[in-house]
Amino acid sequence: MQEEITPELFEHLVELAALELTPEEGEYLRAQLNKQLQAVHELQAIPLEEGIPPASHGVSYTPESSPPPREDAWKPYPNVEALLSQVPETEEGYIVVPDIPHEALS
Amino acid sequence: MSTPIPFLPAHEIARQVRSGELSARQVTEAVLEHIARVDGIPGQLGGDPQAEPDKVHAFITLTAKRALTQAETVDARIAAGEDPGPLAGVPFTVKDIFTVEGTPSTAASRMLANFIAPYTATPVERLENAGAVMLGKVNLDEYTFGSSSESSAFQPSPRNPWNLDRVPGGSSGGSTAAVAAGEGALSLGTDTAGSIRQPAAFCGVVGVKPTYGRVSRYGLIAFGSSLDVPGPVARNVTDAALMLQVMAGADPHDSTAVTLPVPDYLSGLEKGVRGLRIGLSPDYFRITYPDPQDGSLREEALPEAIRTAVLKAAEALAAQGAEIVEDVPMPHTRYGIPAYFVISRVEAASNLHRFDGVKYGYRTSQPVADLREMYRKSRGEGFGVQPKLRILMGMYVSAAQYSEQYYNRALRIRTLIRRDFERVFDPAGAYRLDALLTPTTPTTAFPMQDVYGDSVLMQYADQLTVPANHAGIPGLSLPGGLDAEGLPLGIQLLGPDFSESTLFRIGRAYEKATAEEAWRATTPKIVHG
Amino acid sequence: MEYEAIIGLETHIQLNTETKIFCSCKADSWNDPPNTNICPVCTGLPGVLPVLNKAAVEKAVLLAHAMHSEIRPVSYFDRKNYFYPDLPKGYQISQYDQSLAHGGYLDVPMRDGEMRRVSIHKLHIEEDAGKTKNEQGRRLIDFNRCGVPLIEMVTGPDIRSAEEAAQYLIRLRQLLRWLGVSEADMEKGHLRCDANVSIRPKGADYLNPKTEIKNVNSIDAVRQAIETEIKRQIRAVEGGGKVEAWTLSWDEDSGTLSKMRSKETEADYRYFREPDLLPIHMDEAWKSEILAAFPELPLERRTRFMAEYGLPAYDADLLTAERSLSDYFEAAVSAYGGDPKRVSNWLLNDVMRMLNESGKTAGELRLTPQFLAEIIKMVDKGTVNTPTGKGLLEKTEETGKSPREIVEAEGLGQVSDSEAIRQICAQILADNPEQVARYRGGKTGLLGWFMGQVMRATRGKADPNTTRRILQELLDTSA
Repeated sequence: MQEEITPELFEHLVELAALELTPEEGEYLRAQLNKQLQAVHELQAIPLEEGIPPASHGVSYTPESSPPPREDAWKPYPNVEALLSQVPETEEGYIVVPDIPHEALS
Repeated sequence: MSTPIPFLPAHEIARQVRSGELSARQVTEAVLEHIARVDGIPGQLGGDPQAEPDKVHAFITLTAKRALTQAETVDARIAAGEDPGPLAGVPFTVKDIFTVEGTPSTAASRMLANFIAPYTATPVERLENAGAVMLGKVNLDEYTFGSSSESSAFQPSPRNPWNLDRVPGGSSGGSTAAVAAGEGALSLGTDTAGSIRQPAAFCGVVGVKPTYGRVSRYGLIAFGSSLDVPGPVARNVTDAALMLQVMAGADPHDSTAVTLPVPDYLSGLEKGVRGLRIGLSPDYFRITYPDPQDGSLREEALPEAIRTAVLKAAEALAAQGAEIVEDVPMPHTRYGIPAYFVISRVEAASNLHRFDGVKYGYRTSQPVADLREMYRKSRGEGFGVQPKLRILMGMYVSAAQYSEQYYNRALRIRTLIRRDFERVFDPAGAYRLDALLTPTTPTTAFPMQDVYGDSVLMQYADQLTVPANHAGIPGLSLPGGLDAEGLPLGIQLLGPDFSESTLFRIGRAYEKATAEEAWRATTPKIVHG
Repeated sequence: MEYEAIIGLETHIQLNTETKIFCSCKADSWNDPPNTNICPVCTGLPGVLPVLNKAAVEKAVLLAHAMHSEIRPVSYFDRKNYFYPDLPKGYQISQYDQSLAHGGYLDVPMRDGEMRRVSIHKLHIEEDAGKTKNEQGRRLIDFNRCGVPLIEMVTGPDIRSAEEAAQYLIRLRQLLRWLGVSEADMEKGHLRCDANVSIRPKGADYLNPKTEIKNVNSIDAVRQAIETEIKRQIRAVEGGGKVEAWTLSWDEDSGTLSKMRSKETEADYRYFREPDLLPIHMDEAWKSEILAAFPELPLERRTRFMAEYGLPAYDADLLTAERSLSDYFEAAVSAYGGDPKRVSNWLLNDVMRMLNESGKTAGELRLTPQFLAEIIKMVDKGTVNTPTGKGLLEKTEETGKSPREIVEAEGLGQVSDSEAIRQICAQILADNPEQVARYRGGKTGLLGWFMGQVMRATRGKADPNTTRRILQELLDTSA
């Protein structure tokens, strides 16, 4: 049985996902991904005719069931303090994170 | 002998509180005492999964003080001659995937262990406005990712009140265990692939997955945004209908909550099933799953006890005047899980992007060289293995070079699954069904740790429930008896969009038809302990 | 070798709605302290959902129509997934393959009088991200801007020089303000621009790898950054090197380009349909409601001004630079009823100066087009002389009163009634027999002195021509 998620591809996915894994986690997760993909491959066997559209939602919305868009009226949020109190690091109202370095171009 | 308060139906509590026979405070105190007796220590970060194996462990956060204050408010309103609402004094719990202002909203993850939401989810707000009293937040699989509630970062995870060595199911396992064990008459759960109906079946309670869009998702920490639906868990159909009545309806905070009027679910409840056409499909009496050893697909019939429970239910309904239509083809049922493996993961990976240690929740305490490392460490340490698995899968199947093969294909297969239902519910079609009657789950509650770790087998527990999520249609799981081991069996009703009234009506007729059966008088083990 | 530049611009346009695109925070937080104009939705808290602002869609439709884009009857929102600290949800709600509109163009008059048609590849609605700034090895984040409605508009590679790019932006800015969909102030980031630049030997028909310059946020920066990058690419190629598909960042203070880290720009956005929002159904009824008030566009109006009013191109261009001014002009012409060029002269010479000094738009003046027309008419009729007329512009603006009222109240009317002037002149002659005698004795230069006396007596209001004629008549003939 060929492995769809090779160690290299797996590393790439982990990087894209911004995850740091322990070696044991990595091994388990890669094995599970390959197992799940085997199950997913059942989908390849289904004949799909040309005209079958993708369904982003199961229930289709009609004009009667769709909420109208919001009117453009300002309602200030009363509890900004509660939002900021959740932030791990702040300084003078700013949220603080480590830097993202740039390279100078000669 | 009268029913003790923790086991009174919600509608009975509301009636007695409204009429002054009971005070909301009395009810709340009685249920809190019962919780203290049966629940044991709440789940906590780093907790021992094996701690107090003789307790239910439904809770993560018990909000006893808040509950008593709310109860007093209800009593004060009654004393002042005001209408305290249709759920006056009814104690309920909330799956800890919903935000409730001022209480921890953890999603059962280390990532959100310290998150205090500054807003309350719409369904919770509506329940509280109707006079219901929130007892606290109950446990679940981390971010709802699972079918046993064992993947919670808050341990011990809930146990099945009928057999404490069994899982309660999941991901709303805390909700269904609590309701089954008398820890609140109602619980608010969520259903993305069966996360209300499957644990309801495992715990012998009623679970409703409403039509997508019927109940607002505002305040529900998202898993699969096109699949997630908040829904009621209750001990009987009337209570479930009463709860949905209060929760359903449009919400200016959710653009996918439909603006269709909410019907009166209670007025038609006792109408019976005469003239209703109820279908049985062979595609719901077998499951297809990959062999755990070699991965080859295996097709198996369901256990006899489950099959019999459904057929007996059909007979009971037929005896009440329903027309049973057999051999209804639902050919795409088996593709529900593989399609779900793709669609839900893509949405989940995206929904979990926001947990990055920047704004709230967990941020690594290790030194980091740059922003990216802060992300990797925070997410690596904050997420458990199930979220990581879903993120990686989602990343893969929606990557530019694979999405046509996987994601777009899965969405088109979703259309086929939807069409299966449209065809059999079409009032002008060959089947003209009002509902399908199926088993809820392919098995009864499995032993703890039995399936945990095998993400594929775990997912296949949702095989009979997930098609409704793909299609958006409503589903109702009802207790349908006990197997030889004394474990609950669940039967499921599926109906066309927004047909919750019909499903409640059928469910209620089934309850009445089976009221005198011996299993109805059996209560979960923990209640006696 | 001679090279030509191939330039495409990607612009982000902040719509000037009252509120953000998916929540009810106000859109404009230019003057607010960091992280004060925020709510759970725009900061991506768990469990919250976006709700689309109707006005954002309507303004987007106005812009799409102005760009001659085709508006789709059904368009969808998609998630663009990436990690960046100014993006609280970790994805941006945008539109991908079925955006509100597609195709279209903007005609841009160039300095040499040529018209360059710049094609539009993409036009879609999305949400803005927050702002970040570096400080001592850390990054500080402000979410106030998160969720401001944006239109992203991408041109084809149709632009050939830094100057052409600047002209495109100038015309786009004019159009946005004209439509009233954006304040389009580049200094405030209402209109932002990334530039894709490549070079090729002049006349070649292939495309070379391009670089993308981010953060070129003023017209001057567009000129400088593109100029700098074209030169750098030529240097690189002539030095035997290659141009690589880098993403560059323009630092306006130092006037230099820097290369952004490849990891930041490595993109697989994994677009998929936003499940939390329904598609936009732009049916004919809604569309015609939005477009009912669609204005004549600046270039069309410029052409019409030349044809209908016989204005020179120079006047027509200035008068259509801004919609309020051009509306003002037309209203004044219509109230005036005379030569439109005369109105244009008054506007461009005098009223423009008032606008520049006060910072007002023409529509905000208390000196209404009707008042302006009244002043010009009074000057034409000789009711007031020209300097008094010009003085009336300021007085009308200051008081808000009609010029006629001011003239009457202050007695500024020019005395052109020749009988009245004749009486005054006769009196002055009678009062000054010596000067009369000297004049008649040949000192005709004294006419100026007599003029001065009349003017003094009338406080400058006597029509000089009439006065001169009558004085000469009286002095020369009644000997």
